[in-house]
Amino acid sequence: MALRTNFENSNEVGVFAKLTNKYALVGIGANENFYSVFESELTDVIPVVHTSIAGCRIIGRLTAGNKNGVLCPQNTTDQELQHIRNSLPDGVRVMRIEERLSALGNVIACNDYVALVHPDIDRETEEIIADTLNVEVFRQTVADQVLVGTYCQFTNKGGLVHPKTTPEDQDELASLLQVPLVAGTVNRGSDVIGGGMVVNDWVSFVGQDTTATEISVIESIFRLNDQQPDKVTGDMRHALIDSMVA
Amino acid sequence: MSFGYNFKKITVVQPAKEFIDSTLSKTQRKTPTVIHKHLPISRIRGFYLRKVKYTQQNFHDRLEMMLTEFPRLEDIHPFYSDLMGVLYDRDHYKLALGQISTAKHLIDAVARDYARLLKFGDSLYRCKLLKTAALGRMCTIVKRQKANLEYLEEVRQHLSRLPSIDPTARTLLLAGFPNVGKSSLINLLTRADVEVQPYAFTTKSLYIGHMDYKYLKWQVIDTPGILDHELEERNTIEWQSVTALAHLKAAIVYIVDISEQCGTPIETQIALFKKIKPLFANKPVCVMLNKIDITPFEQLTPENQEMINDFLKTEGVKFYKTSNVSKEGIMDMRNAACDELLVQRVEAKLRGRQADNILNRVYVAQPKSRDEVDRPSVIPGNAPQLREEADARPKIRTERDIELELDDEYMLDLRKTWDLKNAEEAADAIPEIWEGKNITDFVDPDIMTKLAALEAEEEERAKSGFYDLGGEMDSDDEEIRDLAKVIRRKRKIRKLEERVDRAPIGRAALPRKNDKQLETNMQDLGLGEHIQRGRGNYKESIHRGRSVARKRMKHNDGDAMEVDGDSGSVTRSKSRNRSQSHVRGPARNQSGVRPEEVGKAEKLRKKAQKNINQDSRRGEADRRFLDKKPKHLFSGKRGNGTTDRR
Repeated sequence: MALRTNFENSNEVGVFAKLTNKYALVGIGANENFYSVFESELTDVIPVVHTSIAGCRIIGRLTAGNKNGVLCPQNTTDQELQHIRNSLPDGVRVMRIEERLSALGNVIACNDYVALVHPDIDRETEEIIADTLNVEVFRQTVADQVLVGTYCQFTNKGGLVHPKTTPEDQDELASLLQVPLVAGTVNRGSDVIGGGMVVNDWVSFVGQDTTATEISVIESIFRLNDQQPDKVTGDMRHALIDSMVA
Repeated sequence: MSFGYNFKKITVVQPAKEFIDSTLSKTQRKTPTVIHKHLPISRIRGFYLRKVKYTQQNFHDRLEMMLTEFPRLEDIHPFYSDLMGVLYDRDHYKLALGQISTAKHLIDAVARDYARLLKFGDSLYRCKLLKTAALGRMCTIVKRQKANLEYLEEVRQHLSRLPSIDPTARTLLLAGFPNVGKSSLINLLTRADVEVQPYAFTTKSLYIGHMDYKYLKWQVIDTPGILDHELEERNTIEWQSVTALAHLKAAIVYIVDISEQCGTPIETQIALFKKIKPLFANKPVCVMLNKIDITPFEQLTPENQEMINDFLKTEGVKFYKTSNVSKEGIMDMRNAACDELLVQRVEAKLRGRQADNILNRVYVAQPKSRDEVDRPSVIPGNAPQLREEADARPKIRTERDIELELDDEYMLDLRKTWDLKNAEEAADAIPEIWEGKNITDFVDPDIMTKLAALEAEEEERAKSGFYDLGGEMDSDDEEIRDLAKVIRRKRKIRKLEERVDRAPIGRAALPRKNDKQLETNMQDLGLGEHIQRGRGNYKESIHRGRSVARKRMKHNDGDAMEVDGDSGSVTRSKSRNRSQSHVRGPARNQSGVRPEEVGKAEKLRKKAQKNINQDSRRGEADRRFLDKKPKHLFSGKRGNGTTDRR
């Protein structure tokens, strides 16, 4: 199930929200439209929490997390940290880390088992990530982009990477992450996958501009709605090629 | 529109008369209008030259705009080029644009000639005549284009109403004899609302509808019916269909009415198909044997059945028995046609260079297992179930609903989502900073156990009598108590002293109630003159300002007069008292001096003045002008009034 939504007319859903299998963080906007999209879909399943980080609402780019924990940058205030701690279930570790690359959402991409991180991240940070999120950590790039969190998005079931990732890179990444990967776009051709969507193991939220083809790719690779990733190579192949080549 | 033409944006073409009028009036408005014959001839020439040039420029621009905005038949997609050729008569269109172009050049030439002639104009009158002639000739040239301009305006209006057909998009093209059910089909497949009537040529032009199939957008084009005759004999309406069939790379759906309800025998319909088959080359073709709800295939005459069976053997064509009424076979036909076209398009595209760039995007990288770890997905147990029941569940009241309900009153409560052990603690007030300390720095996860331990210890102490007070006071305590008393008293005195020292400015250090005391005390000191009896009076008596018309004095006048008289000041009558300024109170030589010392003071004063008076020198009491002629009083304009020193 992939739902189209927008945050105050912005398609960049992944900037203003963070979705995991155990909780969802949503930025504090001028009204509750965006929050309620998550709320109506996730209430009774996982907590959906209003959050700001250092007073900013771009929490999707500033935090990184999975079902085991959430990492906040150094500039998170004590109150914000306390609020997150109070709102999340007990099993989730909340950690504030001192890292020069403070937009953690941009430099860390993770699911519940594996994380890709920016090649320049601190060694200590790497250890904290491994301990807090309980993941294997790999320093990697996606399509030669260092901001792995920005340009890819993956769950325990599958992943979407930057549209310019070569098949060889995709294979390598797939073997690291142990999930099937496909290169694609969101929001009508945007390559900022991490910024343009949020996804967990059963639901996804994408920008309002996302096309039907993009949604069907997302649904099949993340196996939402009981679809299978090989649909991209089989059923949809022609439609994809015809829509992508002018 | 994605295909780059926008026929809806062409500027309106004015009829010749209006064109001329608007241009001339523009010249009138935008160029100077006043000239005199006595002005230098060069200026007169310039004046008229400008008018000629300006008019020419305007005509030129407007005509040029027409030429650029109207599409050139060679430059647009052959489908549109042919369609326009059919609809507006190719020759006529080209001729019209050609003549407009010629007119433009002629106008330029006229302007050039008259600009040259104007250089020889030797009077205002002659220049004016030349200008009139030039403008007249330009107008005549435009007037001659009357018919062309009218024609182009018609073309423009028609073009702007053409359906926005994208010749490169995925297209299904419906073709067939009139009245076989083409328009009914497009209404079925898309949301287009094309008129359907039971007579031939209901559809007189191309219609377009859009549908979605396989995540893609498709356009369906409904064409007017085609009759079975030679190409040359076709009319404009049929020609539109032929143009579309010939130039659009589309999946062709040829509809055959096997019930012959359309009034055309099956034989003729098949003959037409064969005749126009060359137009279908390299395109996926589907033939619909339509209206089987009226005449099922089995009920056809044997000859017809045989004919159709022969027809079915046509190579590269797929056949579907369909009905627009029962919708039988329609979707199969549509899907097959679309799929076939899609495959064809994809094959063509994959041959191109662009395809390499996107091949990685139709590739799914499957992981190679690197260890034995199982990485299952983590979905909360109730998620799939809730999803399934999503439609049945009552709609939850979301934050947005609450926000809309409360409107301006709405406040976002962040603590709503707090999930604490004791739920009521969520409402507790938690300060950020307490006594200059950040609360968070002192947060201790074990605080509750520590507190419990402390309390237990305290209880233990209380129980063991740790806090019981001793019985009697000893001498030490007595001593301390006395000392404390002394300290307290001293402190009190300090406080009072401080209050006197730091009396606020503007307020009396002493309260009013001490008036009486003050009076007596001051009089004892010989300073009592100021303070005469009565409350307000002593205040008044020490007032030394300028003359103020006073109220009648309340106190005994006689007393006051006596005082004045005693001091040797000028005695004033009561009547003058009100009108003239005078210094009140005691004489200045007496004020501030004790009565017994008045004489001594007088002596001293005289002595001090003795020298000065002897030399007739200027004393300090004399009026002085330090500057005899102050600048500010003697410079600048002055009226007759007085300029006195003030």
